[in-house]
Amino acid sequence: MSGARLALLGATVIACITLGLSAGAVPLPLREVWAGLWHADAGAAAIVRDLRAPRVILAFLVGGSLAICGAALQAMIRNPLAEPYLLGLSSGAGLGAVIAIASRAAGAWAVPLAAFAGALGAVALVYRLSLVSGRRLDPHVLLLSGVVVGSFAGALMSAIMVLSDAPGVRNAFLWLLGGFGTASWRALAVFTAYAAIPLALLLYHARSLDLIALGDEPAHHLGADVDRIRRLVYLCTALLTAASVATCGIIGFVGLVVPHAVRTMFRPLHRSLLPLVFLMGGCFLVLADVVSRTAVRPLELPVGVITALIGVPLFALLLRRTLA
Amino acid sequence: MILEAKAITVRYRRHASAALEAVSCQVTGSELVAVVGPNGSGKTTLVRALLGLVPVERGSVLIDDRPVGQWPRRLLAQVVGVVGQQEEAVFPLSVAETVMLGRYARLGPLARPGPEDRGAVQRALERCDILDLAERSIDSLSGGEWKRVRVARALAQEPRALVLDEPTASLDVRHEMELFELFRQLVDGGLAGLVITHHLNLAARFAHRIILLDRGAVVAVGTPAEVLRREIVSRVFEWPVAVMKWFDGAPQVVPLRAGEETSTLGGPQ
Amino acid sequence: MGGIIYQTPTLQRGLRALLTSTLLGVSLAGSACHERPREGSGRIWVVDDAGDTVRLQAPARRVVSLIPATTELLFAIGAGASLVGRTSYCDYPPAAKAVPDLGDGIKPSIEAVLAQRPDLVTLYNSGQNAAVAGRLRELGIPTLRVNTDALSDVDRVARILGTVTGRQRGADSVAAAFDTALAAATRPAKGPRPRILLLVWEQPPMTIGRGSFLHELVERAGGENLFADVAASSGVVSIEAVAARDPDLIFTTNEGPSAFATRPEWQVVPAIREHRFLRVSGSEFNRPSPRAPAAIRELTARMEAARR
Repeated sequence: MSGARLALLGATVIACITLGLSAGAVPLPLREVWAGLWHADAGAAAIVRDLRAPRVILAFLVGGSLAICGAALQAMIRNPLAEPYLLGLSSGAGLGAVIAIASRAAGAWAVPLAAFAGALGAVALVYRLSLVSGRRLDPHVLLLSGVVVGSFAGALMSAIMVLSDAPGVRNAFLWLLGGFGTASWRALAVFTAYAAIPLALLLYHARSLDLIALGDEPAHHLGADVDRIRRLVYLCTALLTAASVATCGIIGFVGLVVPHAVRTMFRPLHRSLLPLVFLMGGCFLVLADVVSRTAVRPLELPVGVITALIGVPLFALLLRRTLA
Repeated sequence: MILEAKAITVRYRRHASAALEAVSCQVTGSELVAVVGPNGSGKTTLVRALLGLVPVERGSVLIDDRPVGQWPRRLLAQVVGVVGQQEEAVFPLSVAETVMLGRYARLGPLARPGPEDRGAVQRALERCDILDLAERSIDSLSGGEWKRVRVARALAQEPRALVLDEPTASLDVRHEMELFELFRQLVDGGLAGLVITHHLNLAARFAHRIILLDRGAVVAVGTPAEVLRREIVSRVFEWPVAVMKWFDGAPQVVPLRAGEETSTLGGPQ
Repeated sequence: MGGIIYQTPTLQRGLRALLTSTLLGVSLAGSACHERPREGSGRIWVVDDAGDTVRLQAPARRVVSLIPATTELLFAIGAGASLVGRTSYCDYPPAAKAVPDLGDGIKPSIEAVLAQRPDLVTLYNSGQNAAVAGRLRELGIPTLRVNTDALSDVDRVARILGTVTGRQRGADSVAAAFDTALAAATRPAKGPRPRILLLVWEQPPMTIGRGSFLHELVERAGGENLFADVAASSGVVSIEAVAARDPDLIFTTNEGPSAFATRPEWQVVPAIREHRFLRVSGSEFNRPSPRAPAAIRELTARMEAARR
């Protein structure tokens, strides 16, 4: 890995975080941001410390986690088009959130918890469905089951939204579209608590992913415990993605585009790829979040919309480069 | 005895007849064994059973004198290397990176490759004669080169046995010969070699022993000259053949066309 | 005997037709949207907010109102007795509760509407309701689509309803009273005005912009909408934007957010830390209605009280 490229990556990370901290509904000069970070009594301290700092860090972590999930799934399903949301996760999370709102569940954590439970429920159902065919976690069956479960959950969600008279059910859509507008240190702590172990496990098994990507049989002959690794990857990506949906709604394209982009610039071996993907995913989402809160000041655009708007042309560009 | 199957019977679910019926097979170091037989005779099943991929109903399979079921995956990969029929890579690694994946059995997911591992990769590349391809991307290789890369990867595992499944499929004459020469060299260097092949004549030239299967049972076991005889081959493959002798003594099977009778040919019977 | 009258019947009929249509055309062209019918003519028509001409043979006597605002206005102009159907959100005046409830009005059931044998249906002028209106018209029921978004809609819709129910006098008096009361309740624009955050949802935080009548209520009451620069009727904002603009008061309705005020990320906003909430309840804050002046006066009083 060339030193120049690494240095460039490091500089990108720092630049993105700096931009994230200095951009916002209130334009703050860098000087004030710096003062706000280190001195509790500075004018901008409240905004920088209590709102922007946790927001930027959370966006970075979520972006990195989603990107790693995408890379791991792409290796596991042997399909560069895999995305964490293919497994029915997003619809499951949406259904959970809508049920929580429709049943007027009390408590500030009701909706995120319900979204988390819904996402995991969808994943479990997809897993169960893919067992029916007798072939555990076969990529094709996984994808199909994911689509089926996703459609089912989506239909239920729409039905509840139409039938329920609870206030705010229709606002569930807004929440689901994704955003970091209510990010806090506590949300960051909760996400980190959920994400730490799955992330560590995925990073640990990076080389195993290289083998799985060769195919079940070659991987097996090279010494990988294919079944166990597949289950592990599936569970970890499910947990990570569910945690990010519960924290900030549904944000797509990060898991799809970032691994591709990193693979065009660096080697595809996962031991080096995964950490790089994490850093790039973090930068990507921080940047998308900056756009979402500055494009139509003072309004906030849903981050999921921004990642799609950036992600699709970026993906097209990447496709052209790889096919050329 | 590195690979050994003792009278194994394998039956697939929902199949009335057994895929393998009381089949025995042994492969030791410096010995190249070829498993041949018509389609559906159970060649693939035999090798899969030897590798512990399918359960046996009766009999036992031993790797290095230990039942195959007791071998942890990674340890098994340190003893047996397998090159499957087909493999399509999704991500474009380099040849060197691909061969280094063969060290997974010894490194595991976490450890960093050391001089030992780099040495093993180097030797594997040399033995397969692909040193000059080391930095090439695997999606730019020809079929024959890709096969040799996979053999090198299996060698990087530093196994005691090497199993090849139909290695000559879709290879031309030059690559077929190169591959079998390489395989025989490796076996002569001490490896136990097992190959499934439909190519009777190559098996005859390179193998020390041939196991001929038909409908899940062993029809003949022995040296090529003992197994590849006209009456046996004609009966098993259901086609009239003539068997000639190459100057090194290896039998060469020639399928007959309609109207050709061995009595009218000037060759041995 | 037939004489001059029967000499050219076609010509006479043609002349009469020409005269009538000219008069019609002039009178139609003369007014912006609706026109008073000639006394005792039995032919009533208005042009609704969707641009359709709605005709009735006689003043409507069985009205299904699928908008809470029109339910309220119908009672206000004295046509409450003619209501035979309402939505479940139509809660004012109390007499409205006696009218049969036909559902939430968002996706009206045409069967339920038909069951009441109405001679007029009022619908909110949205894209979705175009199909419903079309269907009802096919079935021969005059259907009126109106905008009930801004305070300026109150007078206009009152007059339309007055025309179609024959309660023009009631409509006129409601409109006149509304205009007077509104002018009286409106605070002058100068002087110190408390900055109000109108928060209608918290996950994610949603505020009211210029396009909503709530904005108008607050501004007329003497307050300043924190997000008056947002053109739409509502929009999603960040806590940071709220904190930067530092509202004096936070306006919420009963159905709006409540428990969020204790969450740590909101403590950056002084108004939240100090619990400076303006919690209002009452359906007069949900829709433009003749009660708006009273709502404005209530807001003014509450803002005064909060300042002290």
